[in-house]
Amino acid sequence: MTKKQAFTEVIKENQGIIFKITSVYTNNKEDQQDLYQEIVYQLFKSYKTFKGNAKISTWMYRVALNTSITYLKKEKRGGVRIPIEKILTYKTEQEDTIIEDRIVLLHTKIKKLNIIEKGIILLYLEGKNYDEIAEITGFTNTNVGTRLSRIKEKLKTQILK
Amino acid sequence: MELEEMKSLWFNLSKEVEQQKILTDHLIIEMTKERINSKLNKIALPEMIGALVCFTGALFILVNFSKLDTWYFITCGVFTILYLILLPIVSLRSLFKMKNVSLDDTNYKQTLIKFSRNKKRYMMIQKSSIYFSLLLVFTAMPLAGKIINNKDIFFESNIWYIYLPIMLVFLFFFSRWGIKCVNNVTQSSEDLLKDLEKSSSSN
Repeated sequence: MTKKQAFTEVIKENQGIIFKITSVYTNNKEDQQDLYQEIVYQLFKSYKTFKGNAKISTWMYRVALNTSITYLKKEKRGGVRIPIEKILTYKTEQEDTIIEDRIVLLHTKIKKLNIIEKGIILLYLEGKNYDEIAEITGFTNTNVGTRLSRIKEKLKTQILK
Repeated sequence: MELEEMKSLWFNLSKEVEQQKILTDHLIIEMTKERINSKLNKIALPEMIGALVCFTGALFILVNFSKLDTWYFITCGVFTILYLILLPIVSLRSLFKMKNVSLDDTNYKQTLIKFSRNKKRYMMIQKSSIYFSLLLVFTAMPLAGKIINNKDIFFESNIWYIYLPIMLVFLFFFSRWGIKCVNNVTQSSEDLLKDLEKSSSSN
C-alpha cells in the first residue's frame, strides 16, 4: 500500500470525526464544507511527516482542531470547492424527531461556548478521557476537569436563560 | 442539558455518521489537489490585490517625483511612497505569520496562544494603518493635483473648503467603525490569551 493509499484509507475511516469537528466550528454549510476540505488538506500535508509516535486518532484530532482554530472565514473567497455536499448531508435516520431536535439544540449550545471550551467539550463528547483530552489539548488533567465543570455550569445557566 | 445527556446525544449522532461512509479515494485526492492548486487564494487574495494597488501608486509617484518642486510636495511624496510600500509589506507579513502557525507538532493550547498573539499583532497593524490613512488623505490629493495637473492645491483654498469637510466627515465615520472592529477582535484575543496564561500559571 502506497502512502497515498494509506492516507485515503485513514481519511475514509475517520471521516465522521472531521464532519463532527467542522459542525462545531462553523455556522453554515458553506463554511463547513470549506473547513472540511481544509482539514483534509492539512492532514494530507501532515501525514507525510507523521511517524506514528502518537495514536492516529490523536494526531487527527490535533491537526483538525488546530486547523479549525486558524481557519479564517475570508479564505473561502475565490477558492474552488469540490462538490462534497453529500458529506454534509448526514442525517439521522431515526424517526424520532425529538432526538433530532435535541441534537440541534446540542449544537447550538456548543457553539455558544468559547473556543477553548469548544475543543474540550468536543473531545469529552467523543468519549476521550481526561488523559487523552490533556494529550490533545496541552492542558493538564486537573485543568481539563476544572474547565469541564465550568462548562457544566455554563450549560445550566444557558438553560435558565 | 446535562453533560451526560449531551454525551448520549453525541453518541447517537456519531453512530449515524459512522454508518454513512461517503468519501471515496477520488474525492479525497481531488480535495487535496484543489487546495494545493489554490494556495494563492488561500492566503489573503484581497490583501494581495490591495498591496498591488499600493505598489502601483507608489511607482506612479516615484516616476513623477521630479515634478514635486517644493519642500512640502517632496515631504508629501516621501511620506506617501513610504506608506504605500511599507504598510502593505508589514501587513502581509503579519498575515502570513498568522496563517503559518504549525498545525501538526503543536497542541490545541499552543496553537491557540500562537494564533491569538499573531492575530493581536495583525490587528494592531490594521489599527495603525487606519491612523496613517488619515494622514494619507491630506497628502494624496495635493500630490495628485501636482503630478496630474501641475497645480499647487495647497494654495487653492476653494478646494480645501469642499474637500476637507467631506473627507473629515467620511474619515470620522470610517475610522470610528474601523477602530471599533479592530478593538473588538483584539479584545477577544486578549481575553483568550489571559485565560490561557492563567491556566498555564495555575498548572
